[in-house]
Amino acid sequence: MTARTQAPVPAGGAGRTARGTGAGRPAARNRRRRSPAPYALVAPAVIVLAVVLGYPLYRLVVMSVEHFGLAQQFGRPAPFVGLENYRRVVGDSQFWTVLVRTVTFCAVNVGLTMLLGMVVALVLNALGKVLRLLVGSALLLAWAMPPIAATVVWQWLFDTQYGLVNWLVTQSGIADYRGHSWLTQPLSFLAVATVIVVWMGVPFVALTLYAGLTQLPREVIEAAELDGASGAQRFRHVVLPFLGPIVSILAALSTLWDFRVFTQIYVLQKAGGVARDTNLLGVYAYRISIGANRFDVGAVVALVMVALAMLLTAVYLRQMLRQEEER
Amino acid sequence: MTTRRLVPITVLATLALAACGGGSSGGSGTATSASAAPAMVRLWLNGEDTPQAMVDYASAEFTKLHPESKVVFERQQWTGIVEKLTTSLSSNDSPDVVELGNTQAQSFEAAGALADLTAKKADLGGDDLVQSLVESGSYDGKFFGAPYYGGARVVFYRKDLLAKAGLKIPTTTQEFVDAGIALKKANASVAGFSGIYLPGKYWYAALPFIWDNGGDIATRQGDKWQASLSSPGSVAGLQVVKKIMDEASAAPKDGDEQKDYVAFCAGQVGMLMGPGWKLGQITDPKDGCPTMKDKIGAFALPGRTAGTTAPAFLGGSNLAVSAKSKHADLAYDLLKIMTSDGYQTQFAAKGLLPARKSLLTKVTGDDAANAQAKAAANSRFVPSSEKWAGIEAGTVLPDMLVAIAKGGDVAGEAKKADEAITSGLNG
Repeated sequence: MTARTQAPVPAGGAGRTARGTGAGRPAARNRRRRSPAPYALVAPAVIVLAVVLGYPLYRLVVMSVEHFGLAQQFGRPAPFVGLENYRRVVGDSQFWTVLVRTVTFCAVNVGLTMLLGMVVALVLNALGKVLRLLVGSALLLAWAMPPIAATVVWQWLFDTQYGLVNWLVTQSGIADYRGHSWLTQPLSFLAVATVIVVWMGVPFVALTLYAGLTQLPREVIEAAELDGASGAQRFRHVVLPFLGPIVSILAALSTLWDFRVFTQIYVLQKAGGVARDTNLLGVYAYRISIGANRFDVGAVVALVMVALAMLLTAVYLRQMLRQEEER
Repeated sequence: MTTRRLVPITVLATLALAACGGGSSGGSGTATSASAAPAMVRLWLNGEDTPQAMVDYASAEFTKLHPESKVVFERQQWTGIVEKLTTSLSSNDSPDVVELGNTQAQSFEAAGALADLTAKKADLGGDDLVQSLVESGSYDGKFFGAPYYGGARVVFYRKDLLAKAGLKIPTTTQEFVDAGIALKKANASVAGFSGIYLPGKYWYAALPFIWDNGGDIATRQGDKWQASLSSPGSVAGLQVVKKIMDEASAAPKDGDEQKDYVAFCAGQVGMLMGPGWKLGQITDPKDGCPTMKDKIGAFALPGRTAGTTAPAFLGGSNLAVSAKSKHADLAYDLLKIMTSDGYQTQFAAKGLLPARKSLLTKVTGDDAANAQAKAAANSRFVPSSEKWAGIEAGTVLPDMLVAIAKGGDVAGEAKKADEAITSGLNG
């Protein structure tokens, strides 16, 4: 999805200066509407989207009403079966379990990512130059790490027999964790996955929020201080409202990303755990399609994901437009 | 994973017949298409079953035939290979020659993913080919997958540890389990010691106990499949597996067997079930512990009553040319080299069963080979359906075993697996 590429720019105060003053705006808007230039400018993006996203989506919809197995993948004609595949998915209790699990996992991860991201941003803001540079670099490195590499390293850390975490817990005398399997119990498995997903999600949130914090007018804070507001009050009544738009957009983006998390779950499932009890929608669709060769049923699950993702995107767009109007 | 292959019903028969099969094997040097245009031929082999030396041999032989062309070798992992083959064989960037586990081959044959080799069957060995692997390589009367090699799982054990604990080689399932528990107790001072190393996802190792107790994965009734893991026999077998996991094994309950040799070399294992080449992996000079070689013995997994063996999961692989290969002639020449006597003999020396009956006598006569021959005599296979590969990729059996290892209710977990298997095989 393209959200990642579109997102970072409008966040933060920078967008405000780039857009110029609000005066005389209605007139400008009317003029723009008549000119074909904007359409010409937006055309390449629309064409690329149509080809890269539209065609696969079209294929997905077609596949979801056909019988499409391995033989069809290799060129056999696919018979039309109507809503058969949809009936199958809706009637499958496992699908609903996975859906609820995915939504819960997503909510928890977004919450944690935002919370930790905010804490790190505040810390960054309070740090001196050298330390800030160090923390900032560490954040960037974590963010730049490819998900597969990151997950494999984390999986080694949590390894049952040779993992560092078990060793540390045992050595420090907290408990005997020799041979403890972190991935066997679904909850523990999802907790490890959460650590990895949040670890990868925090840097972007933290750096963006930090960028927002640097735009916070000093005078406002000083005024609040003079009025006797405590640190917590200043954060709640001054900083948070100022960062509000950034926070809501970041939350929307994180939701989109965490909703379709795949790599972390898939790699961890290879290392241990019970796939059936730890599937999230993305991996579930993959297992049905590519694993069990039911591309048709997998397509239905994938379409459900697309629909939900579009719903989230709509919320995100609405927020963005509303902020635009407020300015 | 190492041997997810279909076990031919007739494996023992082929072994027994090995002596009379000789004679008709074709030489390796006869080129069929020496004039093909120069190209890169991509070869995919899975896991560690085929050592690099054999790949180099095949590559060198190929270069002799086609000096202008080259073999590009890419080693794949057994885990996830069905998914990978599904996507790559149907793409425009398909590998030319691929190895398929014999439990997986028929799915791809039925789908039309592989080149039809029916006309070349005689050229590849004809009646000298091991029958069970010919079956997995055929679909609907056509021949797609050339037999590559076979193998049966046996039990490898530490002679010194068994002797120290005063144990003899077990002759029944009960003795085997008891020996595992006794070994674990006797070596309690070694952290993470397993009398029998049985990680939760190791479903090939669980099957013999299911079969030996009269159970099965699924049975065919008319044109429908009925999963039977929750049948009384299967559940009895799974109870044995659970007892081993609970009392004799310290292997990760959600792990697989791929790195079992590491634990073995660390002195944490009394016995483990593995394919014939596992010995080579354990004693590998680079990754393993060659010094332990003299302490390792092998025997065929015993059955419930003394003097019998538990049905072994006898696996194997097929080699095939992708239907999308742009250099089908060159690919075929490479495939032919890899099924030739000169190449297959090297499998025999390594403890795997070559795909030619005339070479079966050449399997080396050590403990492991003898045990393997004995195990292969009584062997079974997974449901013979082109839909089975989907069940494998869906990790139904590993999921069930891990749930049981974690303490889940055996009958309940088996029932859940049954539902998935029945719907998968009939769906």
